[in-house]
Amino acid sequence: MALKMAKYLPESLIGMFDKSFFVGTLFMIDPLLNTLASAIPGFAKELEGKDMSVQLKIRNNTKGRQIFFRDGKVSGRNGVYDNADVEMIFESEKIARKVMMGEMLGKTEDFVDAAKNTALILNGPDEKAMWFSSLLLKIFAFDVLYLGNYGEAMPNGEKRYVTCTNGGVLHVYVKDGKIIRCVPLELRDDDAPAWSIKAHGRTFTPPRRATVAPYGIAWKSLVYSPDRVLYPMKRVDFDPDGERNPHNRGVSDYVRISWEEAIDIVAKEIVRVRQTYGPGSVFWSRGSHHLWGSVGYFTSSAARFFNCIGATSMMMNPDSWEGWAWGAIHHIGESARRGGLEPYSTVEDCLQNAEMIVFWSSDPESTAGVYGAQDGTIRREWFKKLGLPVVHIDPYCNSTAAFMGGRWIAPKPGTDAALALAIAHVWLTNGTYDKQFVADKTIGLETWSKYVLGESDGVPKTPEWQQEITGVEARVVRALAEEWAKRKTYLSCGGIPGFGGACRTSRGTEWARAMTCLAALQGFGKPGSNFGGLQFGTPLDTRFYFPGYADGGFSGDYFGSGAGVTLYNRMRQSPSVNSEYQKIPRLKLPEAILEGHAEAYTYDNYSVHGQFRKASYPAPGHEEVKMYYKYGGSYMGTQPNSNRFVDMYQSDKIEFVVNQSVWMEGESRFADIILPACTNFERWDIGEVGHCGGYIDKSFLQNNYRIIHMQHKCIEPLGESKSDFEIFQSIANKLGLWQVFSEGNAEYDWVRRIFDSSDLAKKISWHSFIKKGYYVLAPLGENQRDPLAFNWFYDSRKRDVPELAPLPSEYYGRYNEGLQTPSGKFEFEAQTLKRFDPNDKDRLPICTYIQPSESEKSELFEKYPFRLISPHSKYSFHTMGDSKDSDLNEISEHRMNIDGYNYWVFRMNADDAAEKGLCRGDLIEVFNDRGRVLCALDTTQRLPRGVVHSYEACADFRALGVPGKSPEVNGCINTLTSSEMIIPRAHGLSVNSCLVGVRKWEGEMVNPWKKCI
Amino acid sequence: MEKMHIIFDADKCVGCFNCQLACQDEFIGNDWLPYTESQEKHGEKWIKTTRHERGRAPITEVAFVTEMCRHCQNAPCEKAFPDAVIHRDDGIVLLNAQKAKGNREIVKACPYGMIHWNEERQTAQKCTLCAHLLDEGWNEPRCVQACPLRALSVVKCTDEEFAALTAKQHLKPLEPGSNQPRLLGRNLYKVNTVYIYGAIVTRADGVERAMGDANIVLSRSGEFITSAITDFFGEFKLDRLPKNSGEFELTVSVNGVEKHCQSVFVGEECPDVGVICID
Repeated sequence: MALKMAKYLPESLIGMFDKSFFVGTLFMIDPLLNTLASAIPGFAKELEGKDMSVQLKIRNNTKGRQIFFRDGKVSGRNGVYDNADVEMIFESEKIARKVMMGEMLGKTEDFVDAAKNTALILNGPDEKAMWFSSLLLKIFAFDVLYLGNYGEAMPNGEKRYVTCTNGGVLHVYVKDGKIIRCVPLELRDDDAPAWSIKAHGRTFTPPRRATVAPYGIAWKSLVYSPDRVLYPMKRVDFDPDGERNPHNRGVSDYVRISWEEAIDIVAKEIVRVRQTYGPGSVFWSRGSHHLWGSVGYFTSSAARFFNCIGATSMMMNPDSWEGWAWGAIHHIGESARRGGLEPYSTVEDCLQNAEMIVFWSSDPESTAGVYGAQDGTIRREWFKKLGLPVVHIDPYCNSTAAFMGGRWIAPKPGTDAALALAIAHVWLTNGTYDKQFVADKTIGLETWSKYVLGESDGVPKTPEWQQEITGVEARVVRALAEEWAKRKTYLSCGGIPGFGGACRTSRGTEWARAMTCLAALQGFGKPGSNFGGLQFGTPLDTRFYFPGYADGGFSGDYFGSGAGVTLYNRMRQSPSVNSEYQKIPRLKLPEAILEGHAEAYTYDNYSVHGQFRKASYPAPGHEEVKMYYKYGGSYMGTQPNSNRFVDMYQSDKIEFVVNQSVWMEGESRFADIILPACTNFERWDIGEVGHCGGYIDKSFLQNNYRIIHMQHKCIEPLGESKSDFEIFQSIANKLGLWQVFSEGNAEYDWVRRIFDSSDLAKKISWHSFIKKGYYVLAPLGENQRDPLAFNWFYDSRKRDVPELAPLPSEYYGRYNEGLQTPSGKFEFEAQTLKRFDPNDKDRLPICTYIQPSESEKSELFEKYPFRLISPHSKYSFHTMGDSKDSDLNEISEHRMNIDGYNYWVFRMNADDAAEKGLCRGDLIEVFNDRGRVLCALDTTQRLPRGVVHSYEACADFRALGVPGKSPEVNGCINTLTSSEMIIPRAHGLSVNSCLVGVRKWEGEMVNPWKKCI
Repeated sequence: MEKMHIIFDADKCVGCFNCQLACQDEFIGNDWLPYTESQEKHGEKWIKTTRHERGRAPITEVAFVTEMCRHCQNAPCEKAFPDAVIHRDDGIVLLNAQKAKGNREIVKACPYGMIHWNEERQTAQKCTLCAHLLDEGWNEPRCVQACPLRALSVVKCTDEEFAALTAKQHLKPLEPGSNQPRLLGRNLYKVNTVYIYGAIVTRADGVERAMGDANIVLSRSGEFITSAITDFFGEFKLDRLPKNSGEFELTVSVNGVEKHCQSVFVGEECPDVGVICID
């Protein structure tokens, strides 16, 4: 009966409310709350045990009402009294009405404006003020929050919700509070239709389906993982008031503590450390690709929280872009994309006009581009049907090569630039390049040409020259070069342009630079000649605004996220700035802590030359950091030379480590306090499939449909886990920051605010959206599609692609004309580098081949004769999805079962293995001076001799004995990789230049997994 | 009567293992009785994908084969254990969950190794083609629904209609025999057969050049078997040769002029005739 009544409540309540305001009786809130409480048990629960009073009043005390919460009931009296626990003071009656109505309708703009202008003041103890403020917001969200009126009811009693992951969008079936299954989102007939591309007399239309990557579909097993952290925990031998025993981090067990105790310790430590050691003494960092969503993701709630407390932050290296960011952008620009390249309409152009695709260190089938699930697979199958030549250049016969077929060319790791130079040599010698383009649109070929032809150093970079270096037959390279010059070719570098394992080698800058130089010689931007491998640049509507996660969510972080581009102006929010400018370069994090200082160059999204700046830690006037607040546990899997992190964590230089994590994995086990975060299946959020915004503008153009999705709270948080948002809110409350952190809004409110701020609100009502859970945006008509990437450059038009970058000041001539280089032209000889240091032999103004520092030419080669590459994983997203007893561990290509344990797969040429007496399925030890790792051996012909392959990013660093001093047994390949910079004057990794030895594991067989909780 | 038929296409399988993951997702932790009890978390997978490679680096081809219960028309499991096997009208073969309990012998009855022993529940189990979902109105089993290119697909039609499709699309069972499996494969040559690889080059002034457009003909005792034209790398593949098919003759002609002739032996692995230089 109560439930039935509740359904009819909203309209009558609105009427009653409006009426009460109009007749001049302010704040008829108490009867309203009582009505709701009597109708809805869930709402009544909110009032349970509350004993407090609230004074609502106009500042001049002319009007007011005091309300009392006692014994689950609400009462009130008119007038202004000075004995209330909480005071809500409005400047005027008009503001009071606007704010109260807005809040209760879930529209908070007026609240924000009034609060910013101090026309609204909340006084009182934080917890009580926060509780009251959030109660107001719950009034008109009661049907969702208390009646579960969202998602779709299925005929069999299951409920179907929607969520999204970094591997695609899902329908989540739930029954009795438990997830039954996760399936790729099932599109309906009445959803918007797909686009079509006409090419070669055919029409290509994507099927009506959303795709998922393996790490997208395995989420149920991750939610219910036995390694979930379900309670706040304290290391047994950590006493904040006594012995802290930092040397036992990673060794000692944990005890369960209450949330109150945990939050109390963390809040007290933040205050103690900051008051004792001054600015920046709290350091925070997070792993990338934590979960998904605009509100709960790291660029949103975490950014806002740490801005509030002024924390030293991590200086990101552009980890997937390295060689592009530190090399290629000097020739072609695109600093905002970190050297990634504009993608617009390249899918259509590639299908219509390209006559060949060269995939160079490019495996979108494994990396899904980034967040692209398997939509691109569908388009690559179309190309496969056209029967045009495809070439793959990669030391590993990667998944894209396996699927598409075509010629696989396998240069030795890190030697790709030599192969590229030989191609340029053929073109320059034969005169088979776009001479008009070179004359009109480029500068500096004369200088580069002298190097390529050997006029400047006496070494012509011929196909025969490169054969010595790369191991690829000159005949093959010459044939490729000649054919490339004849055919309009798409050059695909990385999963999406601007990525690729070759850009993460020692001196991988030169490969990325060479890629742009080759494209320039053939005139990029002309139809059929461009960058991409059908992964990025579908003909979707780019004019419809919905924020991506890197647009900052509710962070208000104008500088630290993409918020400034659009979101900040569309969703009114209070600003947040990290007043602390000290940063620690991520690649030198352990050294920074252990040695007390570190330096690296700063990558700058705003400009090309910004990267010539150096950042030093500690910053002037700073002591070293003393507290580390780590969000998640991935660095030991994703960052080079993992054992360094053990030393760092066990150092007494860090007085306090807190780790906020969903799972007990990797670094979580090195914390003093562990705060249990829930997954995004257990909280509210909103987002768009594949859309990050920020540093990959319009990344949804990897999808076949623009799907904006709700992230329903599918189930209650497991155990005592809480959303990241709630955890930060609890700490913020302790520090008096509740209103500053969240404006008194809960996650649900922020999700609604994001919705309201976007163009989605014009297409579908909030009510319908949270029922259905997603919205498919119709594509634009064929004649409305975006101009082709770089065609404006090729065709001497103003830049007409739909993005704001680069900044106006990055044009040295007229705004919006030309590339982001000083000349506005493609610069074979980069003026920025010439100005910075024309004699830097590791990064000359022209692209050259530079021997990787760890290669067959090194002394180490005798000791460690195998060249290891460790590209991004196919079956997990970095560490997301691996270990923790996830279903992904059962994939035989991801982990291999040996004696009951799923060991990380390590691949080796079958002839090499035979020569060493090794067989597929052997437990092996991979080793070098940096560490030892146990893996399961797979033998293959997908690798040439002498090259070994294993994906990066095992999620759970586990040592056989003493951590850091004994073999790692779970496949943490980065234990072996070098932390040397890509070039000395950068901040970029070079993990794909790594020498290792391989031998059969002769030690005891161990099952490394044990439940730690 | 319309029946379920399953088609696997080796040319479309990208080796993502979504099918296996979807199967795990549906059956681990969920009992779907009377169809089946839940799948063992770390046990045998009801659907399996295996990698196959042909050739040697860098002329390597990779393919994946996905297989599950064949839902045979003449099911050997049914023959051996008629009481424990339910052969539905739609062609789906199920194990009787009660009678499979404790019956280890059924596992051995499947010649394809697609009946598995669940140690935890002490029961024999296998793919149900998600009959519990199909019966609720779903169009596809979970494995198919998760497959990005529908390398795995189901067709619901009469056996006669499917026979016509089989002939038209050259569908083949994964293995020979008379069990009449409902799982048929397309493009299985990527797994079952081998190719001969070689490259034709010319050499002049110390430079080796690829010879494109050369005509390569494979014959046996004068009888034409297959042919190929070299690509711009000067390379060719003569594909779809049965393994262990023995001795062949390979001739290379350029512009209609025979330039080279040699014999090739086709065994278990792809023969590599290497780089052939033509002057």
